[in-house]
Amino acid sequence: MKIYKAGVAVILALGLAACSPGSGTSATDENKAPESVSTDVAKAGTVTLKLTDFWGGAEGEWIKQVVADFQKKYPNVTIQRTNEDWGQLNSTLNLQLQDDSGPDIATANNGWQSLGTLAKGNLVRNLDPYVKAYGWDKKVPTTIARQNQFSADFKTMGTGSWFSTPMSRTSLIGLYYNADKLKALGVEPPKSLADLEAAAAKAKAAGEVPFEYGSLDGSTTILLGAQALLADKKKLNDYIYGDASIKAADIGMTEAITLTKKWADAGYFPPKFEGIDYQTAVANYVGGKGVFRWEYTGSLGLDAAKQGKYGYLQLPQASGSGTVGVGAAPGAMVISSKSKNPDVAAAFLDFMMSPETGQLAADRGLVPALSPDVKVPSTSLSLTDESKGAATLDTDDGYVPYFDWSSPTMLDTISQNLQLVYAGKMTPDKFTEAVDKDRDAFLAGQS
Amino acid sequence: MTATATAPEGGKPGAHRRRNRWIGLAFAALPLGVYALVVLVPLAQSVQFSFYKWDGVSASTWAGLDNYRTFLTDPVLRSTFGHVLVLIGFFALLPIALGLLSAALLTRARQPGMAVYRWIFFLPQVMTTVVIALVFKRIYAPDGPLNTALRAVGLDSFAKTWLGDFTWALPALGMIGTWVTFGFCMVLFISGTSAIAPELYEAARIDGAGPVREFFAVTLPGLRGQMAVALTLTITAALRTFDLVWVTTHGGPGTSTLTPAVALYKAAFQNPQVGLAAAIGVVMALLCLVIAVVITRVSERD
Repeated sequence: MKIYKAGVAVILALGLAACSPGSGTSATDENKAPESVSTDVAKAGTVTLKLTDFWGGAEGEWIKQVVADFQKKYPNVTIQRTNEDWGQLNSTLNLQLQDDSGPDIATANNGWQSLGTLAKGNLVRNLDPYVKAYGWDKKVPTTIARQNQFSADFKTMGTGSWFSTPMSRTSLIGLYYNADKLKALGVEPPKSLADLEAAAAKAKAAGEVPFEYGSLDGSTTILLGAQALLADKKKLNDYIYGDASIKAADIGMTEAITLTKKWADAGYFPPKFEGIDYQTAVANYVGGKGVFRWEYTGSLGLDAAKQGKYGYLQLPQASGSGTVGVGAAPGAMVISSKSKNPDVAAAFLDFMMSPETGQLAADRGLVPALSPDVKVPSTSLSLTDESKGAATLDTDDGYVPYFDWSSPTMLDTISQNLQLVYAGKMTPDKFTEAVDKDRDAFLAGQS
Repeated sequence: MTATATAPEGGKPGAHRRRNRWIGLAFAALPLGVYALVVLVPLAQSVQFSFYKWDGVSASTWAGLDNYRTFLTDPVLRSTFGHVLVLIGFFALLPIALGLLSAALLTRARQPGMAVYRWIFFLPQVMTTVVIALVFKRIYAPDGPLNTALRAVGLDSFAKTWLGDFTWALPALGMIGTWVTFGFCMVLFISGTSAIAPELYEAARIDGAGPVREFFAVTLPGLRGQMAVALTLTITAALRTFDLVWVTTHGGPGTSTLTPAVALYKAAFQNPQVGLAAAIGVVMALLCLVIAVVITRVSERD
């Protein structure tokens, strides 16, 4: 009993003695940019940088080659690369960046869940001086640049200082088509939303599944892909970046969910799609089921032979005003506040945005960005199309960020409510209301 | 843990043993220290975090009981309690009832190859939950074995998208739990039954008790300790359900299979709401503790 009492006392003492959580890393010193920066890497002397990223497969091969080429260009620099899986790095990056021996450069995830929290916690460097020194603001389309910016009070995303950089690769949401099936149906690849609906109706009549899809784990790609065709680009960007004056009804949300539900009710999805999970749907599509599929680029895992069989479309907006697509760099590159060689690290980030590294991406079957002159192997229909899509978005400055960046809980909200809409338990109007409610609650907590 | 304690043996410890107690404590000091470091300190920290609004990195703000209030009043988070109650039915009550029945049947007559059956039924208990979840995901798939079997016998109208159905997803997950814990309960009860003195059965038979009467008068009271163990372990397993849900439905469709553990994980590791996650954890830990204490008290009462 005595020991028990002592234990309780110890616990209480520990609880009382500890100061409030997070106070050790609070931004007592403002996240100010350093006064002067240098872009001359050769003069930096012998430098070793630590890079931690979440890329495997072809992406891992790409970054390895980027590191090798950078080291060849600057023999005085050594980059030690560590690879962790995506979930692992996302959940531990805040701890790694607090460690003195942590990485100098790392891949973060955009949005409030990761990048916003790191910037606010003063764990990653304000990159504004480098933006000026390297002219990144001129190199990068505004709609991509905004994805890396936060306001000085860290209440708004999409404006203010840069805290991360994109790269010469991108990840988009668009429409894949099975080229053989379209040919068999006698249909040209659609050029507009109206074309797509006509093609889907024809496919359905011919006994095909128009859209391969499953909603068991709440996949929202189809909804966000449709929204990009229907929403006003500026309003959609502003909504996601927290402009409270814009409501979900202004950004094509109701129209997009109505369209998705219409496709579901018309039998355009596979039978019993509510019970099909994401992996199965992807495997079915790559295995030859279904004509179209809304998907993130690079997620189908097409091998060289299949790349010739699947095409990709970045459809123009239904209103006819240019092309808008959901897209972002496949990672936000950050420099640790604890890095002793931020100048060299920034030079590496600049290198990651160069056309040379864009070519390295295309050579490995990855979608290049920021590099208009990249050469893509002509045998790969999907990569040719994907690169074309990215180039169109680059010139139209037509990127919109992933919708779930609007609040940390948004992905859950739209996934769960999409399932309710499919089941007829929620109307499209209520869906849009729920989206607003989630974001407004988050914005209220920010101020 | 079990109440089937053997009779105390041996004489009284001599007075000269008293000072050895301190040596014993000294030996235990290191493990106790480690325990304090890896269990008690994080526990205290969790309790502390639960009173703050904190994103895990930047400065936190005092939130008082807000996190607890959110957990208990938010309609989605509150619904997780209802889901857990359903799961308790499938994880604890159903397997224990089935376990008792099968133990009663199996111990009445020794059949050849019984050890093999026992081994087969116990197997799910030693398998990793993730593997089990993946297997059942396949079984419950729209064109999976379960629906194929139903259609084969003409029950087409019973074929469903089990895990994607708002009504059936939770019971479907529950049945996985039943399958996992049933074998454990059965083995526990069989071993418990074999520890009951045969004289009691003989006496019951002489008094003219049939198999049913014998079960309620002898077997069931004799298994009280095992029941307590089975209830405690299976109920807390139901309360902690995470991997099963995470691998199969992620809490969907809608939020119809969301459990407190899944909500906790999402708050702690996906959305920067460390305070809320800590509050959920504290409430669940207290609930587990209360249930364990109540079960122990009830089972030890005469």
